[in-house]
Amino acid sequence: MHVDYWKEITGSNLGRAGLTLLGLMVLIAVFAPLMTPYTPHQNTDTKAFSPPSKDHWLGTNDARQDIWTRLIYGARTSLEVGFGVAILSSFLSVLIGGTSAIFGGLYDRFWMRVVDAIIAIPGIIVIILVATYLKPNVLLIIVLLSLLMWPGGARVIRAQTFSLKERMHVSAAHTFGAGWSHILFRHIVPDLGPIIVAMMIQDARRAVFMEAGLSFLGVSDPSIVSWGKMMQFARVYTFLEVWKWWLLPTGFALSLTLIGLSFTGFALETALDPRLRDDKHVEGVN
Amino acid sequence: MLEVKDLKVSYNGLQILNGIDMCLQRGDSLAIIGESGAGKTTFGLSIMGLVEGRCSGQVFLNGRDLLSLSEEDLRSARGKEISMVFQNVEDALDPIYSVFDQIEEAVRIHQKIDSGQIYEKVNLLLRSVGLSEDKGRAYPHQLSGGEKQRSLIAMALANNPEVLILDEPTASLDAVTKAEVIKLLRENASDKIALVITHDISTAAKLTDMMAVLYAGRVVEMGPTRDLLENPRHPYTRGLIRSSPNMTTTKDLQGIPGRMAHGILGCPFHERCTQHVSICSEKVPPLFDLGDCRSIACHRGGIVPLLEVMDLTKSFGSFKAVGEVDFTLYEGETIALVGESGSGKTTLGKILMGLLQPERGEIRLEEQVITGRRDMKFYRRVQMIYQNPKESISHRMTVLEAVKEPLEVQGKGRLEVQISEVKRVLKEVELPQDDEFLKKYPHQLSGGEAQRVAIARALVLNPKLLIADEPTSALDASVQAKILKLLLNLQENRGLSILFITHDIALARKVSDRMMVMLKGQIVEEGPTDVVTNTPVHDYTRKLLNVAPDLSVENSSHRGSCNTLDIISQGKYPLRANGIFR
Repeated sequence: MHVDYWKEITGSNLGRAGLTLLGLMVLIAVFAPLMTPYTPHQNTDTKAFSPPSKDHWLGTNDARQDIWTRLIYGARTSLEVGFGVAILSSFLSVLIGGTSAIFGGLYDRFWMRVVDAIIAIPGIIVIILVATYLKPNVLLIIVLLSLLMWPGGARVIRAQTFSLKERMHVSAAHTFGAGWSHILFRHIVPDLGPIIVAMMIQDARRAVFMEAGLSFLGVSDPSIVSWGKMMQFARVYTFLEVWKWWLLPTGFALSLTLIGLSFTGFALETALDPRLRDDKHVEGVN
Repeated sequence: MLEVKDLKVSYNGLQILNGIDMCLQRGDSLAIIGESGAGKTTFGLSIMGLVEGRCSGQVFLNGRDLLSLSEEDLRSARGKEISMVFQNVEDALDPIYSVFDQIEEAVRIHQKIDSGQIYEKVNLLLRSVGLSEDKGRAYPHQLSGGEKQRSLIAMALANNPEVLILDEPTASLDAVTKAEVIKLLRENASDKIALVITHDISTAAKLTDMMAVLYAGRVVEMGPTRDLLENPRHPYTRGLIRSSPNMTTTKDLQGIPGRMAHGILGCPFHERCTQHVSICSEKVPPLFDLGDCRSIACHRGGIVPLLEVMDLTKSFGSFKAVGEVDFTLYEGETIALVGESGSGKTTLGKILMGLLQPERGEIRLEEQVITGRRDMKFYRRVQMIYQNPKESISHRMTVLEAVKEPLEVQGKGRLEVQISEVKRVLKEVELPQDDEFLKKYPHQLSGGEAQRVAIARALVLNPKLLIADEPTSALDASVQAKILKLLLNLQENRGLSILFITHDIALARKVSDRMMVMLKGQIVEEGPTDVVTNTPVHDYTRKLLNVAPDLSVENSSHRGSCNTLDIISQGKYPLRANGIFR
């Protein structure tokens, strides 16, 4: 049965809401320079700690930087990390989960124990230690988060591949002499497309959240703007009146991003799992 | 004794006979078979000294070289020592003389006897060929084809010749007359050297003990008739047998691709041969002895064994799926693997294909051991067709992508080359090659079309061996028939060997040369399809044959019910009283 997943998502309220939020965030991140006259690191002429005004919608911080500008540029960091981790981590999931299922045997057993191990290790501590030791930057954070997140997806992909690899067209491809990469990327991945997308959304959501958390804890590149860092500064300056202008819009933006990702993910999962689908959709298909 | 040495004949520089050697004793009978244009008639005529082209070599009859005799001497030998029954009965008799007169003429030329004796002699001859005296008085146009043939035979036998050459003795006769003429010839030729020239293999089989297959002026295979027909070794001989209708083999008729050409370099048959290699187009293969009176002219030693399987065993846990299987599949041959579901047929197919690993045993492809290690090259030689084409083709692939996939996997050629390959192979499986069709997805195709696409996919790498696992069981009967026809044609044109896995013995009977019956992983019976289906040895084979579909009506009740319905409709009986409505 062919299910048009895009239609399923846009057909549900959750999906529409999620996609709208996500689209909004992406637009803000992409067109950030058009929405502010300042740059995030620019020390403006306004005095530090000023409250919201016409020139500075959310006021300025201790270094006379415009908070609105930092907020919208911060979306870039969040989304970069989110998408970066989604792509890298799901690639690892597909590669390791898929090959484990295709090869089976010792190879499979080895990787599944690795998966167990990584899930068992408290990742956040490892990341803090490693990132601190290696001097944190965005790329390093993406790599570390991906290394932490791929095992969950790998389990899902492995299970699905086990059933898909028994399909006739897969063994037909074997009889043309196809190797694992052809089988995996031409025959298995296309059929796993929606599952992989759902996995990517999940990963992105966790990555955005964890990046914010890590930078809140100070594990972050000092030269970039990040929502977590902004909240950390807000916490530091709670004795000043302006702290709420630093904290609340940032928290709100972070929440909206996470909600957008979650809603899209929910909608896709509903489409993927027939048990979660309500009858209205089935009728719609007929 | 008739001895032919290096006989060569050419017409206008075109070599028709290319060095024929043979030696025949009194009582021998030899059939010369081959397609028209092979030089069969020329061979007969050159022994008679009647050939018009340039003739070289020697034909010794009792020590005399007939080719070096003067015309005078030849004339005295012709009709007396050697006689010939000519091909075309309509033209061989003179329409203005009665049959009696014509036979009398044959006797009078060579024997000096008076009229009374001649009268007796001719009547005796007429009787011996089964013609009455009245028929003897008749003119050729008053006689039937069979009677004309009989009178020609009487003429040939008139002087009790030592060598009797029969050129298509039964060509234009109906089956009953043919049988009578054959019987007649057998009776009369037993003490002579009989040379039967024919394209009709069944006539040759009935008339002769030895058989020589002539192709483009060369003998390509020779041997005892029975052995040669049951077990042909030259691809051309097999092609001839496959293309001749008979009641023995059950496989559908197949032709031989291409046309015969004279004067080509190398083996004369190589252009039409599906197993030719480079040496075939360079050197003429000599006729060499195979033992058991068989000889063959082929660089590859006859039809090559393509796949040899020895002692193949595979178990799943304690369940033995395939046990100690041995067989050999020859080039261009179809073996049907028959058995019920669960008998291990598909497992065997998968092992051969490398999808499963055997526990024990050896598989050889073209004399190379391939068990355990199969490289990309292997899959260019062996391909598989599955039961359900819509499953074996990814539902995400268009026709173009699906057929192109094997080429991509094998890294063959650039995109344009691949597309033209795809179109070529689609043409071969009789599918459209336009862009609209190439962009279709499997679910947009009919069952037959999808299976053709699957076959095209398998053929695009030009394999020699096709493992067809129930290729037609998902199709309805008429589509199935077309697909089978296609497979047979592909076999004919490419020399494909096919391992045809099926549960349907009736189907297997029509498509296979040999049949293997599988039960619980073991091959319980194996042999030529006609032998297995006509005289099954194993109980299981008999059981399969008993339950095989046939069109005969089981009992008379079906036929009866039709009549009763008629009666009911006429209102003669109340419905209640009739058995079928109870």
